[in-house]
Amino acid sequence: MRESAVHYDTVSKQARKRKIVKRSTIYLILFLFTIVNAYPIFWMIMNSFKTGQEFSFDPFGLPNEWVFTNYVEAWVTANIGSYFFNSLFVGIVALLICILVGAFASYFLSRFQFRGRNLLYGFFVVGLLVPIHATLVPMFILMQKLGFLNTHLALIFPYVAFNLPITIFLLTSFMSSFPKEIEESAIMDGCGPFRIFWSIILPMSRPALATAVILNFINNWNEFSFALVLINDKALSTLPLGLANFAGEYTTNYTAQMAGLTLVLIPTILFYLIMEKQIVNGMTQGAVKG
Amino acid sequence: MHLLKKPWIIAVGVIPALVIYLIFSIVPIFISFYYSLMSWNGFSEMQFIGLANFKEVFQDSVFWVSVRNNILVVLASVFGQIPIALALALLLNRKMKGAKFFRTIGFMPVVISTVVISITWRMIYNSEYGMINNFLEAIGLGFLQQNWLGDPTWAMVAVCITIIWQFVGLYFIIFLSALQTVPSEILEAADLDGASEWQKTIHVVLPSIWNIILISVVLCISGSLKTFDLIFVMTSGGPANSTEVMATYMYGKTFEGLRYGYGSAISVLIFVFSIALILITTKLLRRREV
Repeated sequence: MRESAVHYDTVSKQARKRKIVKRSTIYLILFLFTIVNAYPIFWMIMNSFKTGQEFSFDPFGLPNEWVFTNYVEAWVTANIGSYFFNSLFVGIVALLICILVGAFASYFLSRFQFRGRNLLYGFFVVGLLVPIHATLVPMFILMQKLGFLNTHLALIFPYVAFNLPITIFLLTSFMSSFPKEIEESAIMDGCGPFRIFWSIILPMSRPALATAVILNFINNWNEFSFALVLINDKALSTLPLGLANFAGEYTTNYTAQMAGLTLVLIPTILFYLIMEKQIVNGMTQGAVKG
Repeated sequence: MHLLKKPWIIAVGVIPALVIYLIFSIVPIFISFYYSLMSWNGFSEMQFIGLANFKEVFQDSVFWVSVRNNILVVLASVFGQIPIALALALLLNRKMKGAKFFRTIGFMPVVISTVVISITWRMIYNSEYGMINNFLEAIGLGFLQQNWLGDPTWAMVAVCITIIWQFVGLYFIIFLSALQTVPSEILEAADLDGASEWQKTIHVVLPSIWNIILISVVLCISGSLKTFDLIFVMTSGGPANSTEVMATYMYGKTFEGLRYGYGSAISVLIFVFSIALILITTKLLRRREV
């Protein structure tokens, strides 16, 4: 009796010990992952507050004295303010057009029966597979012919076109889940299809619209290759393009580059932390369903 | 779903989206087919030269380097991002403190603009002031220091590590949410049978999220085929073309070499290559599913 109790005790002690070791290992690995993910960003932000000299002999410590000259330099010489405006403008206009025409098309694709409907839907969704880079050269030629080169229109239209497939995909699958009784009473009351769209279907689609809006915005906000090819004027540059040019010109002024990057990064991270749930849902849903 | 008496209304609803989508996403592909048969520098008269552009592309060894690097990026993404993300998701898939924190930081790089990531990592890899070389020196491994992005043997490795870093978080979160759908009754039944955690993972958990893993592989392939911004900003394809991918090769030939016909031919090949790879993988994976 006594012997077995002792035995039991050592077994549970061992099991507990093993459990603690296992837990600690898991935590250790996850912390390592977190550090690998976050430290590069932290390193950059921290060094953006140092003088170039301090950065070169102490790149790891906190700044001795927090200096803001890098920020002044980045803001004034890199013109980050105007890039911000351009990115916001292009991003929001493209998003509005895309959501509007996309939701409208999705409404007809999901709520009406007509010949060629599935074919048309498939045609839109296949756009998810079109590799953007295969269209850079022809897009440049096309925009030149249309006279859009070096205008914001040159970005707005491709941004709409390349976000339409995922937008239509998300909205159509959401709208087709509504029961058809929804419109029936409205039709009885004499509402036309446009009225039904505006006052019934669109408000009901709010969750899917939110996902689509976020996806559109993030895609437009981060887009670089079309801007690189289609915009050649500093005054019209979007943030990613402006930043790349700034970093290209100030190749040896690392701390000023870091200040510029931080200025762009902070709003992105704040936006992410505030809207984390929607952003994560939007991006993983869009990805998995797409 | 209902039939409309006036079918033209459907046309009104679908046409705006269709027109934008056609002109700015589908038409460019055909434009590139057309221009790929021409010799054109953007200013002078265009000249029909048949398949000469393609012939020249195939004879250029730099093109084959870029194809090889594209494949390398795909392999690094599939075999880097997916297993790391899966392992981390399995580790975090339990009740633990700070789970939310690990998720938030884990996903963060995914929302950051590729240009910001590229410039940051360019500084991290910098041979004199970069984080990695400084770190190696600080821990007494200074002899391992390299000119990461300046040395053709290391540049592609360095680029691939950044690509893996950028997107591990996406698949991490996708797998985490997939793991939450594994039915808890089956896991409890396995517990009663005395299955170890490892056995449960192999025999219950992985089979039930297998579909999501396959979808993620396809996503990962199509995503990594889109690599352009990152390499363009980090190395512009150098040193000595060692990090060239098809899209950077195309950009250089078209916009720096002013050869629009030749660039269009590369665009066509990017298109064909991407679509073929995506079709092959979906077909292969689907067959295994059955």
